[in-house]
Amino acid sequence: MASSQGKEARTGWLLISPPAIYALLLLAAPLATVLIYSVLTGGRGEIGLPFTLSNFAELFQKPIYQSVMLRSLYVSLAVTFVTVVLAYPIAYFVSFHVSPSKKALWLFLITIPFWTSYVIRVALWRTILGYEGIVDSALINIGVINEPLNILSNGMLSMIITLSHAYAPFAVLPIFVSLEKVDRSLLEAGQDLGESRLMTFIRVTLPLTMPGVIAAVLIVFIPTVGDYVTPELIGGGKVPLIANLIESQMLKIRDQAQGSAIAVAAMFVVGMVSLVFVLLNRRFLGGQK
Amino acid sequence: MKKAPFLGGYAILYLLFLYGPIIILPLFAFNDGRIVAFPLNGFTTRWFTEMFADAQLKKALLNSLTIALSSATLATVLGVFAARATVRYRWPGKPAALGLIMVPLVLPEMIVAMALLVVLLSIGIPLSIFTIILGHVLICMPFAVAILTSAFQSLDRSLEEASLDLGETQWSTFRLIVLPLVMPGILSSFLITFTISIDEFIISNFLGSGQPILSVYIFGQFRFPAKVPSMLALGTLLVLFSICMLAIAEYFRRRGIAKTGGKDTGGFL
Amino acid sequence: MTITEKTMIEFRDVHKYYGDYHALRGINGTIRAGEFFSLLGPSGCGKTTLLRTIAGFEDISSGVIMIDGKDMADVAPNARPTNMVFQSYAIFPHMSVAENVGFGLRRDPRSKADKARAVEEALDMVGLRGFGARAAHALSGGQRQRVALARALILKPKVLLLDEPLSALDKKMREHMQVELIKLQRQVGITFILVTHDQEEALVMSDRVAVMFEGEIAQLADPETLYRRPNSKQVADFIGTMNFIPVTVLSEAGDTVEIEAKGLGRVSLDASLAPPVRGESPVVGMRPETLTLLYDDQKAAERETEGVIDEVIYFGDMTYYDVYLGGTDVEVRLSMRNVPGRPVLEVGTKVRVAWSPSALVLFR
Repeated sequence: MASSQGKEARTGWLLISPPAIYALLLLAAPLATVLIYSVLTGGRGEIGLPFTLSNFAELFQKPIYQSVMLRSLYVSLAVTFVTVVLAYPIAYFVSFHVSPSKKALWLFLITIPFWTSYVIRVALWRTILGYEGIVDSALINIGVINEPLNILSNGMLSMIITLSHAYAPFAVLPIFVSLEKVDRSLLEAGQDLGESRLMTFIRVTLPLTMPGVIAAVLIVFIPTVGDYVTPELIGGGKVPLIANLIESQMLKIRDQAQGSAIAVAAMFVVGMVSLVFVLLNRRFLGGQK
Repeated sequence: MKKAPFLGGYAILYLLFLYGPIIILPLFAFNDGRIVAFPLNGFTTRWFTEMFADAQLKKALLNSLTIALSSATLATVLGVFAARATVRYRWPGKPAALGLIMVPLVLPEMIVAMALLVVLLSIGIPLSIFTIILGHVLICMPFAVAILTSAFQSLDRSLEEASLDLGETQWSTFRLIVLPLVMPGILSSFLITFTISIDEFIISNFLGSGQPILSVYIFGQFRFPAKVPSMLALGTLLVLFSICMLAIAEYFRRRGIAKTGGKDTGGFL
Repeated sequence: MTITEKTMIEFRDVHKYYGDYHALRGINGTIRAGEFFSLLGPSGCGKTTLLRTIAGFEDISSGVIMIDGKDMADVAPNARPTNMVFQSYAIFPHMSVAENVGFGLRRDPRSKADKARAVEEALDMVGLRGFGARAAHALSGGQRQRVALARALILKPKVLLLDEPLSALDKKMREHMQVELIKLQRQVGITFILVTHDQEEALVMSDRVAVMFEGEIAQLADPETLYRRPNSKQVADFIGTMNFIPVTVLSEAGDTVEIEAKGLGRVSLDASLAPPVRGESPVVGMRPETLTLLYDDQKAAERETEGVIDEVIYFGDMTYYDVYLGGTDVEVRLSMRNVPGRPVLEVGTKVRVAWSPSALVLFR
């Protein structure tokens, strides 16, 4: 018995080792390095001993760090909220009101935009929202407005619109999957027991699909916190987010210790926010059982 | 299906929102005017001509193809190892190993890129197309593993036993039975990781050494308003290309399911 | 070829552990060359595990498995003289029927034409002549099973292993395939080992049956012995229906046991026919069809007892009666064939029941 299980484990390890070693060397080791760098003393292009917590202290002392962090959080939470709220009805529509044979086609339609060049999609919003861009010129042409709106000048708003568009399909899929799993007879039971369709939705469907909603939240929140392209192209570099801050510390100011500290702090924030949502998810799952 | 006029209308609006920017691509790629704004000025193909004449763009495309081909191949091969190991064998440490491989899915890409950059610089590996490939394999691998795991899962274990029973060895069983049956999954993994690699910006930007890479080149060109129309022409072609790739990937995925006699459980990861 | 005394498979104290779970607990026994052998038991009894140890898909933890006189300890599945028909049939979905059937011939040195002929013969044998070019995934359940059979038999194994091969088929198809399998086994003359949880299937098809409970062989015998002389209450209960009546042992002299059975009275039994003593509280078992209702002036050949009908279950060709025996609370089930001129009796009818002491099995 021991021999066959041992053999199976050996084969398993043998097979997993190429990808695992790859991830260990190129992911785990670099992340560990960043963790160590964050408590070293850094200077212009230099890094060394002694160990110090001053990099982290600086994050709390200099207002620029906090304002960028808060802005990043604000932008990605806003984007997350917008995408998930917009995505739920569409996922509901496809799951409940589209015939089974056409569901795959709808999902295909929703996901195609996601697979088209990210940089181009973001850049397009620049030409759409910009001064005398597509929105402005279209509205002026049909006579709705006289002066250009120049939405692009509002960096935060433009970024939220752009990112909400970029991550929309991400939010639809997990919600759709959770809606598909809802046993349809539960809804009939809800209505059979005298609830209206709206109340059935609120008391049965919504709680049952909460895990999908939470997954959608995480799947949008995590990458948007670290987005680099949008602040550069849409914000024109004037409203940096965390990723831009890390870049400037690492590559322009060349203080790798401080840059690493920001990265670690960012990972910490992402981790904490994700943890909150995962715990929320647990509560919903626990409530079901 | 029940009628839901409100939801149906919303669905149309939502698709318009999703596709709005993409419809603009061909609209202005064929518009005879350097300024991207209404009204349209008539039909032209000169932006395509301008784009095709761009020598830098050709270099960028070539570099990107090299990177995407290598990354997709490597990520898919590593994904086959990981998927086979997780689906077929029981071994201690599986959740940890798999978790590590899937981490890039839940980590902001900028952090992955910077962490890699810091290490590459500290051990003195010069940045090049090779270092970009290293990074791309890392972020493509989770997608490959996800697709391939579902492909390997739909494989009936007794098929392999039947082959062994009929006199084949472990290796020839893998070649004659397992590989042909998961081939659609492998192709679909390859096509999707290829698309991800072509699109990827952050790693291409920070782990390269200044050679033109398609996504980085596009990013740069959008800063010059005069270059925007030819970028829209390029975008139009890229959209067409992506749709083809996706359709092919989906086709293979479905054929794989049909072949192994399984039921379609959604798709798109 | 007929069943010989030649041993094909021998188990010597075979144990199998999965971690702490003791799946096979000392299996001993032999399977003869050319016999149709069944491993019968409820799910989780180890019958499939035992079959897979013969095929080589499971290592054994201790003990010896010999096939045709050779120890199989270090012999890989692909080198064993056994072939298997899987529960799911395991038809390769990306190949045609002919490619499936001919799969095992890849390393065969024969010419292409010879191999094609062998495939055609194998298909013919299972009644699938001309199906070679069909795609495997377009077959029905019964056809898939035939392909699986042809594919396993084409290699001319010494032993064919069948893992619940009929469980995926509907009732009609299953009964049809049972007969086909028996014919096929006679035709090819090799040892068939069938795993099944269906006692009727095992009795119908097998020359001998091993009944398994919790990793052990409870009884290994031919179907008739198994049915008429089960060696334990557990086996008796698993195979068919058996009435159990509590008894007191009055005396025991030589081969004769005197008992007092509740509702039946005093009976002498032949102790040499009784299963080994297990120290349980003694009962006698009797099959429903060994009891007969006596009509009008019919006389019992051996013994008769009075009773009252408590329940009538009508089956069309048969009627089951539950009868209280001799004014006691002992109830037995008996079955009567419904023949013309013999009315179905009603609940509450007083009846006389004929029975025979030789049909009783004493468990104690």
